[in-house]
Amino acid sequence: MHLDEEEEMMLAGEEGKGTQKAMEILKAKGEAEDAKRMVKIVYAHLMPPDTMFFPYGRQGRWARDLTGELTKGVTRLKVPATMEPKFVDLAMAKDIEFTDELVKEMDSIMLPAAEFFENLGVIPSYTALPFLIYPTKLGQHVSIAESIAILWYNTMFGSRCERDDGVTSLAAAITGVYPEIGVHLSENRFAEVVIRPGKDIEPARFTYTDWDAYSLAAARKGKEKTPVFVGLPPDMTFTQLKHLLAVIAVESGLAIMHIVGITPEAPTLKDALGGKKPLAEFEIGKREIDEAYDIATTATDPGVDYVFLGCPHVTEAELKEVAEALDGKKVNPSVKLVVSTTWQYLQAAEEMGYADIIRKAGATLTKDMCIAFSGTQVSGTIATDSIKAAFFYTGFSSKTTRRVWFGTIQDCIQSAITGKWQGRR
Amino acid sequence: MGVTKIKGHSIKKLPTVEGEALVTTDLIAFWGGTDWETGEIVEVSHQARGKNMAGKILVCPAGKGGAGDTFGYYYLYKSGKAPKAIVCNRGQGTTLAGALLTDTPMIYGFKENVVDIVSDGDMVKVDSEKGEVTITKKDS
Repeated sequence: MHLDEEEEMMLAGEEGKGTQKAMEILKAKGEAEDAKRMVKIVYAHLMPPDTMFFPYGRQGRWARDLTGELTKGVTRLKVPATMEPKFVDLAMAKDIEFTDELVKEMDSIMLPAAEFFENLGVIPSYTALPFLIYPTKLGQHVSIAESIAILWYNTMFGSRCERDDGVTSLAAAITGVYPEIGVHLSENRFAEVVIRPGKDIEPARFTYTDWDAYSLAAARKGKEKTPVFVGLPPDMTFTQLKHLLAVIAVESGLAIMHIVGITPEAPTLKDALGGKKPLAEFEIGKREIDEAYDIATTATDPGVDYVFLGCPHVTEAELKEVAEALDGKKVNPSVKLVVSTTWQYLQAAEEMGYADIIRKAGATLTKDMCIAFSGTQVSGTIATDSIKAAFFYTGFSSKTTRRVWFGTIQDCIQSAITGKWQGRR
Repeated sequence: MGVTKIKGHSIKKLPTVEGEALVTTDLIAFWGGTDWETGEIVEVSHQARGKNMAGKILVCPAGKGGAGDTFGYYYLYKSGKAPKAIVCNRGQGTTLAGALLTDTPMIYGFKENVVDIVSDGDMVKVDSEKGEVTITKKDS
């Protein structure tokens, strides 16, 4: 693998220990994939483990040590960078069953880490939707650590990034380069399988949760193959696309997908496939959608203890729906309703009056945090509108008894008001 | 004779390891999908739910999960519950990063679909110098 003079100097440690370690990580990744050279990136989205990944206990210390080694002597990043949400908003952590001791411990790991990155010049975006803050262009190289954002930069912008994690994206931001591997190369960006809606469903009439279900069904058919979606409405909204991309990003481990008529590298099916024949074609009908709802729904007890909305972060369009469903109502005292969004959307919601309506109903409106991860502290039954979150709520531990009801924002809000699941069973 | 050799792409030259195969036909998530304290696959609808990957040769179509999946693998490794090696069809970025971070041998991209030719309990030798995987069927 060829390194230029500046890259060789970083590898030799001329810019300090952290930069040297970062270059070693990127070189190892390049060699793993037979890269010929590095490419310059224009932007990175970071996922520091010590701000986001259960920042307490022994894993909190592992995370801090891992980041510490990589940032030794680093005083600035070579490209503009944004950052993932923090693990939890400490001011409301007790509402979701964190003890005082854990809050104190997180305060000592998570907050200094966040401050460190802010001092490095990282934009304090604390968002799962960084593509709203730092959109990039067709063909530009970036490094992103957030599964929906990886898929969004490649798919919606035609920018180029691999499935990067917190260590790799930080290394890329420190050095400003990335090995030319995977979907950074044009030949690896084409679709391999075709996904189309069956005749018994109407995507134009889908709810947001139907898009989650469609996405899960597509992932279960196409598995690790790069899909191209055909037959979807050309006027899909930002929030609909958020739901479609979020689930398949996690369930298929994809860096890129295509939607004919919507995404820049898929003006036609032939373009998306690179002129080749697809390996397979799959149809998603009502049966597959129902099956996806069934997989996401693990609860049987009609009682609801928690309602969590915002994985990935609730958009302005969704905040409006939440406010409309809650207007003049009260959340049942036996239920905690948490609505998690970004600070930009929250500011808009304050000015538009939605925030006031949501708070008056007794809901907790938060920003800058990851309700999918921090929500795994609770016991009992959770209602959510996100299959991505459902995956995390029922995961992590073989001992968990947490179960999930999955349904629309309206189903979730009605359940928060009544204390009983009101949606599909 | 029940012994098969297949060739793939090795991500790093490391000492050869040998162990019992754990095969999953579903994609696998380390962050959320696996208990990093025990090595058990916990994803509710996963085909291999309840099976344990600690000390095994993990054979799967690919890794999946969020971008945090690398840390899931790292925490699994720090707990002493990581697999000995990963053998898969697609060498997806977050899995590859986890393997590199922990010096776990990983070979991917075979002519064959690996989950079709390896079964649970087969003995698997992973030679990352040569990019070669040797499978000895358990009933041979």
